[in-house]
Order: sequence, then structure tokens, then C-alpha cells
Amino acid sequence: MNESVRIAAREESGIVTAKVIIPHPSESGARKDESGNIVPAHFIKTGTVTLNGSPLLDIQLGPAVSKDPFLQFRFKGVKGDILKVLFLDSFNDQFAAETRVL
Amino acid sequence: MDRRHFLAYGVLFAGYSLALPSKLFAEWSVNSFQQCSIEQAFINALGTQEMVKTDKISIVAPVVATDSSLVPVDVISELKGTRIFLFVEKNLTPLVFVCDLHENALPWFSLNIKMKESSALYAVVRDGGKFFMSSVHVDVVAQAC
Repeated sequence: MNESVRIAAREESGIVTAKVIIPHPSESGARKDESGNIVPAHFIKTGTVTLNGSPLLDIQLGPAVSKDPFLQFRFKGVKGDILKVLFLDSFNDQFAAETRVL
Repeated sequence: MDRRHFLAYGVLFAGYSLALPSKLFAEWSVNSFQQCSIEQAFINALGTQEMVKTDKISIVAPVVATDSSLVPVDVISELKGTRIFLFVEKNLTPLVFVCDLHENALPWFSLNIKMKESSALYAVVRDGGKFFMSSVHVDVVAQAC
């Protein structure tokens, strides 16, 4: 479990904007390094977002996501709601974070 | 614990630990994320190429991207869809993301993406069994994929 994921959620007139940054190399599997060898694919594949324990988003990501993926999304919520994210990459490493909506 | 039981528990545990992630995590569609043409990508991900072109979905992206490895893209829909897709026509894997929206989620999703070269972007929203589509063109100046 990796705890370095950064998350923030802020409510404004009933709508919450959430921002998530996952520190990750996000290698698509198509890039070559300096010596011309293909860098193996290593990217985040799926993510689940829950709001107070109920599902909010199910995300599937492909190899074309930038390094250190930066996601933003919006939902109906109030201050104090608990937002949890859980991501899984192609090496089956988990990235989780949770926050309280401000 | 004798050997027979040890093995039996081992198999049970392995089965359990394999079954667990599939419940915790969203499924990742291998078929949708294949390297293929944009037409094939639509068929793989949506099951059809028939989409209704609409101006109710907006894609906010730079007209000219200076760094192809970091292109910020927002998909904002006025249609209350249940699923959002983003495709980049010229990428090796055209499908960038699929996002399922549950009850309280709003059709607004933003992500930094990589682009192989200048290309059209297609945002597709599924609403009531139909697919709605909108597209923009993004020019890429520097290659950095």
C-alpha cells in the first residue's frame, strides 16, 4: 500500500471538486530509454472512488496517461463527506488515499 | 497440520487472494485498451461506431500543446451520462480512459494525458443506451512520448 497519493476535495454550493495526484512513472510500454531499449509498461489501470462508502466512480485508465497522473472530478456532496480513492497499477501495486470534503 | 491439509489450505488461500482484488477494483477491459485504429477502438470500447454528434459535451484542451507528454484535458458534459470515454485518434492505444459515474457523480472529468502527435480528441458519453460524441483537434509542437 502506497500512502504518497495526494488528495483534496472542496465543496462550493453543493458541488465538490476533487483533485488527486498519484506519484507514478506511468510508462506506456512504447517509450525507449537512452540506449534504445523499450521501457516496460508500468501504468495505473483502474481506480475506484467512494463517497461515504458508496461507489462514486469506477475508472479505467490506458497507457496514455501522463507521469504522476493528475485527476479531477466533480460530484454532489457536502462538507465533511469522506472521499476515498484506491488505484491499482499494472504491477498490482495499490495506491490509496482518503480525505474529508472541505 | 499435515501436508494434505496444508496444501488444501494453500490452494484455498491462493484462490481467495486471487478472487479478492476483482471485487475491490474496477475491471480493466483488455479488449478496449488494445493498440488499434480509432474505428476499431470505438467498436472495442463502445460495441458500435454509431454516435450522435452533440455540442452538449465540451472538451477543454489547449489548441496547441507544447508538451505532448502532458496535455490537460477536461471533459464536461451537460448530458447526465453514466459513462465517459476519451479517445485520442493518433495514439497507439486510442482509448485513454473510461469513467463510470454512479449516483452522485457529475459528468465532469479532467486528466493529464500523453499524445503521440497532433490529433483529434473524441469524448464520448453514454446516456440512456445511446452514445453522444464531441471532438476537438489538438496540435502538438514537441514530441515527447
